[in-house]
Amino acid sequence: MNWLKQLFSRRRIYGDLSAEIEEHLAEKVDELVASGMSREEATFAARREFGNVLLIEERSRDEWRWPSLEDFLMDVRYGARLLHKNPGFTAVAVLTLALGIGGNVAVFSLLDAVMLRPLPYSHPEGLYMFFPYEKSRHGTMVASSYPDLQDWRAQSHAFEAIAGYSFDSFNLTGTTEPERLDGLRTTAGLFALLGIPPLLGREFGPHDDPHVVVMTYELWRRRFGGDAGIIGKPIHLEGSAYTVLGVLPPHFSFPPQRWEGTPEVFVPAIPNPERGSYWLRVIGRLAPGATEQQARAEMNGICARLAQAYPDTNSDHAVQGVVVSSLNHEVVGGVRHTAWILLGAVAFVLLIACSNVANLLLSQGATREREIAIRSAVGATRARIVRQLLTESLLLAGMGGALGAALAYWTLPLVASVLPAHSTFFTRVHDGGFELNSTVLIFAVLLSVLSCALCGLLPAWRTTKPARVSGASVGTGRIRSGLIGLEVALSFVLLAGAGLMMKSLVRLLDTDLGFRTEHLLTMDLSLAGEKYHSGENQAAFFAQVLQRLESLPSVVSAGAAVNLPMTRADTLSGVEIPGPHPRKGWANYHTVSPNYFHTMGIPLLNGRELTTADSARSSLVGVINRTMAQKYLPDENPIGKTIIASHCFEVSTPKGSSVKCNPQELMIVGIVGDVPFGLDAPPYPELFIPYTQWPADEMALVLRTTSEPPSLIPAVKKEIWQVDPDQPVTNIRTMDQLVSTEASGRRFVLQLIGVFAAIALVLAAVGIYGVVSYGTRQRTHEIGIRMALGARGQQILWLVAGQNAKWLLVGIATGVASALALTRLLAAYLYAVRPNDPLTFVAVSLLLLAVALLAVYIPARRATKVDPMVALRYE
Amino acid sequence: MKKPEERDLFRGALEMMILRTLKRQPLHGYALAQHIKRTSHDLLHIEEGSLYPALQRLLKEGLVKAEWGVSSTNRKVRIYELTPAGAQHLEREVISFERMLEGITRVLALDEA
Repeated sequence: MNWLKQLFSRRRIYGDLSAEIEEHLAEKVDELVASGMSREEATFAARREFGNVLLIEERSRDEWRWPSLEDFLMDVRYGARLLHKNPGFTAVAVLTLALGIGGNVAVFSLLDAVMLRPLPYSHPEGLYMFFPYEKSRHGTMVASSYPDLQDWRAQSHAFEAIAGYSFDSFNLTGTTEPERLDGLRTTAGLFALLGIPPLLGREFGPHDDPHVVVMTYELWRRRFGGDAGIIGKPIHLEGSAYTVLGVLPPHFSFPPQRWEGTPEVFVPAIPNPERGSYWLRVIGRLAPGATEQQARAEMNGICARLAQAYPDTNSDHAVQGVVVSSLNHEVVGGVRHTAWILLGAVAFVLLIACSNVANLLLSQGATREREIAIRSAVGATRARIVRQLLTESLLLAGMGGALGAALAYWTLPLVASVLPAHSTFFTRVHDGGFELNSTVLIFAVLLSVLSCALCGLLPAWRTTKPARVSGASVGTGRIRSGLIGLEVALSFVLLAGAGLMMKSLVRLLDTDLGFRTEHLLTMDLSLAGEKYHSGENQAAFFAQVLQRLESLPSVVSAGAAVNLPMTRADTLSGVEIPGPHPRKGWANYHTVSPNYFHTMGIPLLNGRELTTADSARSSLVGVINRTMAQKYLPDENPIGKTIIASHCFEVSTPKGSSVKCNPQELMIVGIVGDVPFGLDAPPYPELFIPYTQWPADEMALVLRTTSEPPSLIPAVKKEIWQVDPDQPVTNIRTMDQLVSTEASGRRFVLQLIGVFAAIALVLAAVGIYGVVSYGTRQRTHEIGIRMALGARGQQILWLVAGQNAKWLLVGIATGVASALALTRLLAAYLYAVRPNDPLTFVAVSLLLLAVALLAVYIPARRATKVDPMVALRYE
Repeated sequence: MKKPEERDLFRGALEMMILRTLKRQPLHGYALAQHIKRTSHDLLHIEEGSLYPALQRLLKEGLVKAEWGVSSTNRKVRIYELTPAGAQHLEREVISFERMLEGITRVLALDEA
């Protein structure tokens, strides 16, 4: 513990040392005086022989220290004192860096949650998705057939397990309020494959009864009060009893990429023997030791053999091969582009923040010339002074980083609330949360160090430049202006990106949807169970519900339809137009109630609407939209024409379910206006058929209301439950919400880039203001002389502004060039706007120029207010 | 390349000379500097001050110890004294230095041999 003792006795040691050296010099001086020198000469000679007293004392002390660490701590203390003495400078620098670092930390923590964090399964790197492809089609399919899955499972060695699943939803009844649950139909062994064993009970095996269910922990707690005795008991799904086999551990979610909600119930997939029916998404786990290449080669071999063995599935439709792709790639691949854009944008903000702080440090450096001159005069090397200045930058960056992390922490809930629905961003954050974990904090620390280097190195180097001649400050001035140019250029790129995105969003939301979206309430009703097996019963249920709802006082009218617009749900199927030249085509089929068009506000263009007179007993009729009329019946009046539509319905048998289609003739009685499929998707050809003639077990209700739609929800539910108390009402949303969700992906990117651009603009303005006011302060003397000699305020204004305007223009020009190159990366998010939209570029240039000139004008104007006498006495 | 008169002593040379001087008698810093200067006939250009970092090094290693006392000229001074460890260290250093010197001398004498 010798070093510890030394540490505590150091103060005494240093005292001894100074006293000793002083004595040494005194003795020498005395001796020289005794030999006849004057005291003054003797003092000088003694010092010369001794060497640099301060440096030697410091070196002697260093023998007792860990010099680098202790120097650092000393620099920290000194730096902290200095920053404390300059609260204005410190606040601006720390806040600037905090904005830059905080933005990066927030974006990084989002990307950590979405891309970097491993998927919540055991050894997720071994999980792969299968995408089969047929000879006849281009590209791959997301789903496979049940027999193919079975054969792959039997023949593959590279995969130790393969399972299939398909999205479905289930009406849960028999407890309190009926509820529609999202769920999966899966083949046996999915949970073992994922490495997530149930918390209670077990998962189903290949020989279990089809009426068994595994549920999530959350559903178990929410609907069954966490009843530990639930295993083996029945619950009611789709009107049938399912025996509970297992409950999954908390926070389980699968699959990680999905459009629908989080599956909460898992039931056995019905083995559909059709090899041409692709409905199961397939996931596999690589066997230990097997490589991706082996797996691919093996799967292609298996598929080739299967294609030969089952030529009767007809050669065009046989699966030719399978693309095997890691689950992680599937999840992350889709967001990578967005991730890079966000990271790039926020990195620009950091660069701007760092140039601002560099500029501040440069002007600080100029005011510290004396201090630095003294330090080098007493023997500090340039490296030592640079180290000290960098320590000060590190302090700033450290505080900025800490504040930035706090800012990020505070903004995370905001970011989470704007995540686009139906995106990997949303599902990953929904499944795994989103926080400042240790990875993010390490990133924040590294980023602070990087910022320190970015903003501190150049000023430290310039400030300590030896032998500063009068010209040196001119060079510094150029660096400062250059930094401003850089900031303007970077801001321009961000503003241009935000401008293009904003214009896209405005255009998108301005799209004429062909119906009135306000005051529309929508909800989904899905009928299940014995009592709704027949089409008449289905139609009767909807007829009763619609009648009851229309009698509600705040409901203007009520309609029902299969697949509402703005929900991205379609039922595309083939149509045939008979005649001398029969034509084949396709259309989006909708089963609708007669009042649907009136409720939505879709105009009738020709013929008549559907009426209650179109019943199951009258002849089949249909209404088409304008696109369908123009596409398939362009040169004739479609009213009264007959077309052949295929009436498809699901046939469930104990061996599996499949879809059967019957061609049926129907007569076109009316043409309605177009409604686009989505905000940025053109209208499909559409065919509307009365629900009495082609009943559907799943329809969306749409209500036109007089009051705010959400206020009606309890009354609407009550009316529906008057007809059937076991009927779940799901996805209750207003049409405005649906439209807004349609734009949410673009809005998300716009919001983030918009915020970054706004920060960039403010930082650039602050930076310009700082540089110009520093520059005019430096020139107070000169300005005073000019004014004393008769220069007018306006001339001074032009002098100051003109000098800075040059750099602003250079910055904007560079910004335009960079933006032209970079906004192309945004093309995927733009709608009806080109990446080089001239109007946006001009608007952004003007905005940036206006803000920049204001930032120049304020300090320049102050310069003209200088009293020449004061200015001349300055310095 | 530094000018010859500015060339540093090799590592440990100053310490060795201090220890050797202190072996004769305890001395304070100024006297130590004067002694080394005188006995080396000013052949070695040593800044007086450079003694002090070396002394601190030796103090820290426990090779010398120091105490405040009064000099012959009646000044309050810090007198350094060799410790037993210092004496041992000096012996080892001198042996290895002589060996090194011999080696260097042999190489330098190569031509005349």
